[in-house]
Amino acid sequence: MKKRVSLFIQCLVESMYPEVGEAMVDVLERAGVQVDFPEGQTCCGQPAFNSGYHHEARAAAQRFISIFADAEHIVCPSGSCVHMVRHHYPELFAGEDQETRDLAARVAANCYEFSQYLVDVLKITDLQARFPARVTYHDSCHLLRGLGIADQPRQLLAQVSGLELVEMVDSDVCCGFGGTFSVNYADISAAMADEKVDNILATGADYVVGCDMSCLMNIQGRLSRRREAVQVKHIAEILASTGGVG
Amino acid sequence: MAERSAFLKDIRTALDASSAGERSASQFPAVFSQPDVSGTIAEINSRSAEDQQALLARFQESGTEIRLQVHCAADSAAAAAIIADIARDAEPEFGTDKQIIQHAGRECAALNLAELLAGEEMTVHSVVPGDPDARDKTEASFIGITVADWGIAESATVVQITEPGKARSTSLVPSIHIALLPIERLLADLSELQALLQNQPPASSYVLISGPSKTGDIESHIVYGAHGPKDMHVVVITGRKSV
Amino acid sequence: MKAPDAPDYRQGARLGLASKSLQKNLKTLQNRFGRGAFKEWSAPADPGQRERVKQRRMDILEHLDAVLALLADRVEENGGRVFFAKTAEEAVKYCVEVARQGDVKTIVKGKSMVSAEIGVDAALHREGIEVLETDLGEYIVQLREEAPSHIVAPSVHLNRRQVGRLFTEKLGIPYSEDPPTLTMAARKALRTKMLTADMGISGCNIACAETGRIGLVSNEGNIRMSTTMPRIHVALMGIERVEATLAGQLETLQLLIKAATQQKLSGYVSFTGGPRQSGDIDGPEEFHLVLIDNGRSKILADPEFREVLACLRCGACLNVCPVYGRIGGHAYNATYSGPVGAVLTPLLYGVNRHADLCKGESLCGACLDVCPVNNDLPRMLLALRYKLAYGDERWQTRPHKPFEAFTFKLWRLAVSNALIYRLLCKGLSILQQPFIKENGMITRGIGPAGEWTRDRDLPPLARRPFSKRWRQRKEGKSAQRRDEVKHG
Repeated sequence: MKKRVSLFIQCLVESMYPEVGEAMVDVLERAGVQVDFPEGQTCCGQPAFNSGYHHEARAAAQRFISIFADAEHIVCPSGSCVHMVRHHYPELFAGEDQETRDLAARVAANCYEFSQYLVDVLKITDLQARFPARVTYHDSCHLLRGLGIADQPRQLLAQVSGLELVEMVDSDVCCGFGGTFSVNYADISAAMADEKVDNILATGADYVVGCDMSCLMNIQGRLSRRREAVQVKHIAEILASTGGVG
Repeated sequence: MAERSAFLKDIRTALDASSAGERSASQFPAVFSQPDVSGTIAEINSRSAEDQQALLARFQESGTEIRLQVHCAADSAAAAAIIADIARDAEPEFGTDKQIIQHAGRECAALNLAELLAGEEMTVHSVVPGDPDARDKTEASFIGITVADWGIAESATVVQITEPGKARSTSLVPSIHIALLPIERLLADLSELQALLQNQPPASSYVLISGPSKTGDIESHIVYGAHGPKDMHVVVITGRKSV
Repeated sequence: MKAPDAPDYRQGARLGLASKSLQKNLKTLQNRFGRGAFKEWSAPADPGQRERVKQRRMDILEHLDAVLALLADRVEENGGRVFFAKTAEEAVKYCVEVARQGDVKTIVKGKSMVSAEIGVDAALHREGIEVLETDLGEYIVQLREEAPSHIVAPSVHLNRRQVGRLFTEKLGIPYSEDPPTLTMAARKALRTKMLTADMGISGCNIACAETGRIGLVSNEGNIRMSTTMPRIHVALMGIERVEATLAGQLETLQLLIKAATQQKLSGYVSFTGGPRQSGDIDGPEEFHLVLIDNGRSKILADPEFREVLACLRCGACLNVCPVYGRIGGHAYNATYSGPVGAVLTPLLYGVNRHADLCKGESLCGACLDVCPVNNDLPRMLLALRYKLAYGDERWQTRPHKPFEAFTFKLWRLAVSNALIYRLLCKGLSILQQPFIKENGMITRGIGPAGEWTRDRDLPPLARRPFSKRWRQRKEGKSAQRRDEVKHG
């Protein structure tokens, strides 16, 4: 039977990087999955939650769990959002009735990050992708430490024809994004991004790849300010690519 | 006592246990329970000569990581010869004359160091309990010789229990520390030491020493001899001729 | 309570970010000890140890009154004196009194964080007593009249040239930037002091209640020297720095050392708990143990934060923190810096006062991963932010930023209604047009975007968001299917 997934498109992808969402749909469909995009979705609530505003975060989370209540699998192009749903929803709904708590727990258990879904659920690593370029991979914090995802994206990249993966030093060190931290403490955040950029440049890669557009946006912002030619790519864009580099 | 009970009461209040009245250790045997160490003790006591040699090899290997100089001597005379060489080669760091202070007790006495170094312009002092000049002698010495109660192979550690005649400053104030370690006192690791200490009343003071004093406080650059001894030697008395 | 001076994390951070030698030294430190700790945990000889020690630490905290009572009894049996200090002032007053009664002229200190927390040095100086730090790093920062910038490596922010100039000025030695030469100069200068001081002040890494002995760890030997040679030894300890049994004490000390420096054991691990015994030729004649609460019982009472008292003060969280690695310890403007300081300082000195410490982290989680006792510092930072958002009576916290709270109320409206949400994005995508430069990026924004664009470019919002593209895609597909049906 055909697997069905419901997309959760993180706010940054919805509004700033829609092509990443499209790439994800392409890849999932190529993998034989029936993709659905539930209407009315907005945000998982993380920006408010990480700033301490639990009541506001709960409003977003409430909406999330009701929209995705019947989803078989929820797939999201962001490790950070999945970490929020999986690990912070239980805390957020701790004071609610049993039914809501059960629903939150069920939704949390069904929620997957994109690369995790491909490798761990679909058991696919080869998407017949072709991306002839030198690429380095950034481990996003919530993806790596919150969800324990480090091998899945690398396994996927290893199967991409023409792609050469060059590991950077300190790939597991934070890029400095941190949500509202990136604007509230902009100089610290940018200094962290700057070091990340140094490590990326040292690999000689043409592209830096990750599974979280928020981190990649931060890295892109610093790369662009430094007038570096290196481009950021979400892993879905790499896997969707079947021809030349574009 | 008033401040003590008020202080402890605040802690009980914080723990939501204020109604319980003063609580004592005997009420919580699980918290204060000692691990069963009989197996460890049995293992220590059943070590063969080969086992001890293996521990010695491990002690030496660990020692190289921390710049501890490990020597082997068949007996006290051989140990004394090694120590005499160290004393002859080294120059005093503070002052000009060569004085040596050693722990009291038979292991140090058996070295006959004073006799061996007679006529070489060196003075050998012993820690004598109650000696009012002991501190001055220690401060004037460039070498301190101590007897280890145990050695720990895993970390190349020398364990010293303070008692009259086995002063703390002997291993601390002189620039060079030489510890004598009879091979049968070698232990594998810290848990063995814990097993042995658990079965005796605690000494007023004891110390685990692993290598010479060192610091990395200037740009993480390791320098030996921050405050304690710059050099440390352990002379293991093996009780048999080396091959 | 000695509260740190007007805290300004942002300003301190800027100073740190501007210092190249700070960045370089912290990089070296983090590469060595931060990476070292992760390596240690990746293949541990005893995989259950961290969790076991954590459980035991929490168990001790649960019975802290009984454990401390036994510790005090044992120290007194051994001839030591125990003082229970509810506040920093009481602890300081006691130390001053001991010094006065002992006619003390010079004090040597072994590295102690809690002594800095209570601010004992200033009070002793006022008595005309000379107080000298003996740990090389502490000595260097004391000569510079600065605070330590790392729990374990106090002078990590300085380079060898700065130390060289300092020693030329203060110790009168010819200029050198050779670490061994500089270390030997400090060795000479401090040796006389340590051998002639009247009193030694130490901290306590971990005490053992059952034996009544405190455990002290150093590599330099300075702590052993400061607690052995002077007539009087005063040991200061926070109430949480205790284990019940010898087995617990040794295991915890060993874990502390692994986490801090990845050594099998530090150079000196010494145990003491009373004055010298009859016949001993050295060791102090008086031993005082000062148990310091100073806000800890309040932390103990709050289940949300209790685990921070399980902290071993190993500094591992500083050694992996990317924020600490950029800004350095002085930015935190408090005794305890880095991730653990960001939790501890607000709890000890006021959440509002130190709001920037609660909020100035990226929540990357490296501190949790490296902590030898698995302290969930990111969780506690989030809990502090929650208090700042809505206020909290228990911690005398008021809502921190009304404007921020208002912004999140608006945000709530937007995310609760997809139509408003999409319209807002649409509106912004129109408003942004004048800001987009030829590289396709926003290089100078306003408001929060302006903060972002000081050092980074910002990608613009897309003309057609994903949701719109999805609809078009589906319509295109069904149109295609209709075509296929028609022509098929």
